[in-house]
Amino acid sequence: MELGGNGGFHGYRRLPQNSSAGTKAPEISMEMPPQMNQTPNTNSVTDDTECTVREQDRFMPIANVIRIMRKILPPHAKISDDAKETIQECVSEFIGFITSEANDRCQREQRKTITAEDVLWAMSKLGFDDYIEPLTLYLHRYREYDGGERGSLTGEPLVKRAVDPGTYGFMTFPPVPFPMAPHHGFFGAPPMNGFLKDPSNAGPSQAAVAGIDPPHCKEQGLELLNGGGK
Amino acid sequence: MRQPGAYSRLLAGGISGKTGPHSLPLARIKKIMKNSSDEVKMISGEAPIVFSKACELFIEELTKRAWMMTLQAKRSTLHREDVASAVMNIDIFDFLVNLVSENSGKSEDPQPVTEA
Repeated sequence: MELGGNGGFHGYRRLPQNSSAGTKAPEISMEMPPQMNQTPNTNSVTDDTECTVREQDRFMPIANVIRIMRKILPPHAKISDDAKETIQECVSEFIGFITSEANDRCQREQRKTITAEDVLWAMSKLGFDDYIEPLTLYLHRYREYDGGERGSLTGEPLVKRAVDPGTYGFMTFPPVPFPMAPHHGFFGAPPMNGFLKDPSNAGPSQAAVAGIDPPHCKEQGLELLNGGGK
Repeated sequence: MRQPGAYSRLLAGGISGKTGPHSLPLARIKKIMKNSSDEVKMISGEAPIVFSKACELFIEELTKRAWMMTLQAKRSTLHREDVASAVMNIDIFDFLVNLVSENSGKSEDPQPVTEA
């Protein structure tokens, strides 16, 4: 399945255990080749499972990473490819680092499911206190929007929201200007202009869409929550 | 690099690759969480959501710090070494020390790994 360009173009990258590989797979390659011998820089003979984990599974999509970086950097700034990849790797390391700590806590408390609270706790413990407040806010907003109010997957939830457009003017996720432009067509019909009665104000209308969780998240949530046990 | 159309990524449906308002794909986050350890079993639906925002904050912070190194070196291109310098300078990024110094080809002063 095509990942929409966010995972398919790196091919296989050097892996931590792979001390001999120094070359990078060509960036043009699209779908992952099923067999590893197509990419010369992968040591497929090692017995580590790391080796069989595809790059697109190990890292966040580089396009997303770059987009976030560019928000911070001045317009004239350039980013070298190795810096982009380094940050990409750092993110995965960050996720693993926090997850390990959160998982340890779960195990100590004899729980099987890592919750959002565990993640927040782990971050705080590992020194990322500054993140806690914005994350808590973010989670809170997410729960308010998506706690139970998901409309049909085909998406008429915007109609529901039309009942009280006033509250959505400021009910945004404040810290993050979501790159919402591509989302106008999210539900196939963007009635946002009429709905919010303020077509020129891209902020709130985008924020209203921002509050609508894409279907896959809920599916995931349900499948995890249903499958998760204590 | 193939750029997805405005709608193709969103309407593709399914779990993989969809960014939605969370900006970073939740399925990918979940995969990375699971890959981090064999002991990770179940992950609540909300945990990846927290991570999507946390990773954003993380990238922002790391980028900011790295850029400061770039400026100090009077360059306008952010290089891997700037990221490495930023990592060395900040305590909470200690977990990244090995990552940024491995594969670099040069042996920098090995930072002593601090015990937890």
